[in-house]
Amino acid sequence: MSNADDRHAQRRDTHDLERYDIDTAPGDEYLGDTDVGSGLRGYVIGLGLATLLTIASFWLPGTDLVWAPGVPVALVVLAIAQMGVHLVFFLHITTGPDNTNNALALAFGVLIVVLVIGGSIWIMANLDKNLMPMNAIMNMNR
Amino acid sequence: MLGKLSWDVIPFDQPLPMIASAVVALTILGVLAWVFLAGHFPYLWREWITSVDHKRIGVMYTLLALLMLLRGFSDAVMMRSQQALAFQAPGYLPPDHFNQVFSAHGTIMIFFGAMPFVIGLMNLVVPLQLGVRDVAFPTLNSVSLWLTATGALLVNISLVIGEFARTGWLPYPPLSETAYSPGVGVDYYLWAVQIAGVGTLLTGINFVTTILKMRAPGMSYLRMSMFCWTSLAASLLIVAAFPILTATLAMLTLDRYFGFHFFTNEAGGNMLMFVNLIWAWGHPEVYILVLPAFGIFSEVISTFSSKPLFGYRSMVAATLFICIVSFMVWLHHFFTMGAGADVNAAFGIATSIIAVGTGVKIYNWMFTMYGGRIRFATPMLWSLGFMVTFVIGGMTGVLLAVPPADFLLHNSLFLVAHFHNVIIGGVLFGAFAGYTYWFPKAFGFRLHEGWGKLAFWLTLIGFYATFVPLYAVGLLGMTRRMQHFDVPAWYPWVLVAGAGMIITTAGVVAQIIQLVVSIRQRAALRDSTGDPWDGRSLEWATPSPPPVFNFAALPHVEGEEPYWSIKQRAREQNRLRDEPEYEPIEMPRNSPTGFICAFFATVMGFALIWHIWWMVALGALGAFATFVVFAWRDKPEYVISAAEVARIDRANRSARREALATYTGPRP
Ligand code: HEM
Ligand SMILES: [Cu+2]
Repeated sequence: MSNADDRHAQRRDTHDLERYDIDTAPGDEYLGDTDVGSGLRGYVIGLGLATLLTIASFWLPGTDLVWAPGVPVALVVLAIAQMGVHLVFFLHITTGPDNTNNALALAFGVLIVVLVIGGSIWIMANLDKNLMPMNAIMNMNR
Repeated sequence: MLGKLSWDVIPFDQPLPMIASAVVALTILGVLAWVFLAGHFPYLWREWITSVDHKRIGVMYTLLALLMLLRGFSDAVMMRSQQALAFQAPGYLPPDHFNQVFSAHGTIMIFFGAMPFVIGLMNLVVPLQLGVRDVAFPTLNSVSLWLTATGALLVNISLVIGEFARTGWLPYPPLSETAYSPGVGVDYYLWAVQIAGVGTLLTGINFVTTILKMRAPGMSYLRMSMFCWTSLAASLLIVAAFPILTATLAMLTLDRYFGFHFFTNEAGGNMLMFVNLIWAWGHPEVYILVLPAFGIFSEVISTFSSKPLFGYRSMVAATLFICIVSFMVWLHHFFTMGAGADVNAAFGIATSIIAVGTGVKIYNWMFTMYGGRIRFATPMLWSLGFMVTFVIGGMTGVLLAVPPADFLLHNSLFLVAHFHNVIIGGVLFGAFAGYTYWFPKAFGFRLHEGWGKLAFWLTLIGFYATFVPLYAVGLLGMTRRMQHFDVPAWYPWVLVAGAGMIITTAGVVAQIIQLVVSIRQRAALRDSTGDPWDGRSLEWATPSPPPVFNFAALPHVEGEEPYWSIKQRAREQNRLRDEPEYEPIEMPRNSPTGFICAFFATVMGFALIWHIWWMVALGALGAFATFVVFAWRDKPEYVISAAEVARIDRANRSARREALATYTGPRP
């Protein structure tokens, strides 16, 4: 199985598995079925980080560590970090080998979310501006 | 105890639905009685209902689709005849009933006719074309099928018990809110579509995974058949779009069940948000339907022109282009809702641009045919009918995409003609092409050509006779969904459209006769080699019908059109490839999980509609318990011995050897 196309074969072959041993990115799923522990470790680290970030976002607004008007920005930053932790440790989106599919799927998902949410906000704001409130129309008819 | 349920909800006073449902119920009971009395039930249970084989699931999806198409078609006959009779007269369907008929028609045709047809063909063909043994999650696939059937069942139950929505196939608020639709009609719609929608979403996930992760050795992305590509694009769209539908309907459900105010007229609700969200799903949905149909036409046109598909890479590019741009146009469904000129212009232009991708495909199909040895078999006729019809539909679509024109034509019968033009001429013709093309693969015998051609011509003529008048009368100002009308200028057109329905009905009958005749003459129509059309992609490398494991040995793919190159080599050397080394094959066990889950989902959906809360809990608990039992199963697979594999493969090889010996066509 040396042909490049053969990497698309149904099951990952042993050759790939060996490479995983040497070259694992953080959060990479370990595919050997001998060692459950190392897979578990990733999830535990992820859970810890996620909990920490959650606690931080509840704790932060109560302190005066951040300049008050900057709190929303800080929360957004924490939220993005939270998403990153989920993606890496639970959904195993990594820079490791054979992750192109996952990365592409993520990019597609982000693109669609941006299109739908961005478009909706644009459309609804436009409608809001263009459509008179009900009582204004009533007044006009009077 | 029984929520809103009582004897009053059964419409004993309305003869039409009562008689119709009595006939249907008696037929179903008759079939069930026959199945049990003749002892067929164990076979059906073992081989079909609990099957996790993608081919069987595909066949059952298609069967569901054909039945629901008939149901939706009878609604269409009722609407056209009502309008033909209702010129300055009340006609025979009272408004209350007419409104339910057009709502049920749209809902059934899109969710339970077109979708299962397309998904059924994907199920049957995609794993075969990829050269693999099954989809990524076979049991999940069975769950998808039965959840879709649950949705279809709920919609049909509404015929007898209670009522269906009167809101159209997309229940716009505030009409669909409790204030204006206090009955259970909208609730039937909501739960039927939600449950079936879960099934569809699971199918999307299943096929994305299958196509990305499970291909025969050597099958790189750019060696996949066109149908696999369009199925991948449609599945991606399902995964991206169906959650929007689910969320939107969930919000409407919260409005109706718990008095929320997402879309209400008062208390800060915004009904325009519903329209916005439902079309953010709705436009991608039309491409979910039509992209796989494009794939079918690509396969059929290339096979029956005896040429590789022209511009394969540009086809792939056009498919992905459509896949993305279909998420950038949804506002064209509500140009008239009040957005400013800038927004309308942007979405109008994006809409016209999507036609470019489609145009690329049309030219590619024409160049595929150019210079080919074309065989005008039934699937090819459907494809040719499609190319002409779809171009017309696409052009009227571009017309509607011009906002000032849309202000005149929106919600007129011109719009109705446009979308039937693309959905019948595109999706349905594609599904029928696929049905006649792959039928021999599924059952081992071809469909009767004579009746098939008759059905094609009647359907094509019937289609034009019905919908060209609707374009005209739409331009004259007739709006959609009219129970009766008084304008003399419209009357002749409405009559012609009604006459068109008679021709279309003849087409439907011809299609049914074709199936019956083919089954009776199956010996003469037998396909012994597995390659009845001189095909080019891998599904034709298997026997017809294929064994559960599809391929005795997974094929090694060395280029585009993998089966064609295998076949050409055999013709060149005048002998088949060497026999592979047969090995035992592991296949997933059949499982009743899907059927039982769907049974509980039906109970739960019905109970939710009628507010029978204890039964809701029962249904939810049952479905969850089924899932847990399935998750703890300990023998998920069984083994087919090497000897058995060899026996099946050798039988097919000898048929192919015979065909090769008597082959007289051109040789490479
Ligand atoms: C060439 C590409 C197409 C263009 C430019 C186009 C354009 C449009 C426009 C502008 C409308 C809205 C008209 C109005 O409401 O006033 C519309 C409605 C519609 N189109 Fe298309 N369309 C195209 C292809 C398709 C395809 C391929 C399908 C389905 C397979 C489809 C199905 C529909 C449906 C179902 C509606 C209306 C649904 C409703 O209001 O109930 N269209 N189209
Ligand atoms: Cu659209």
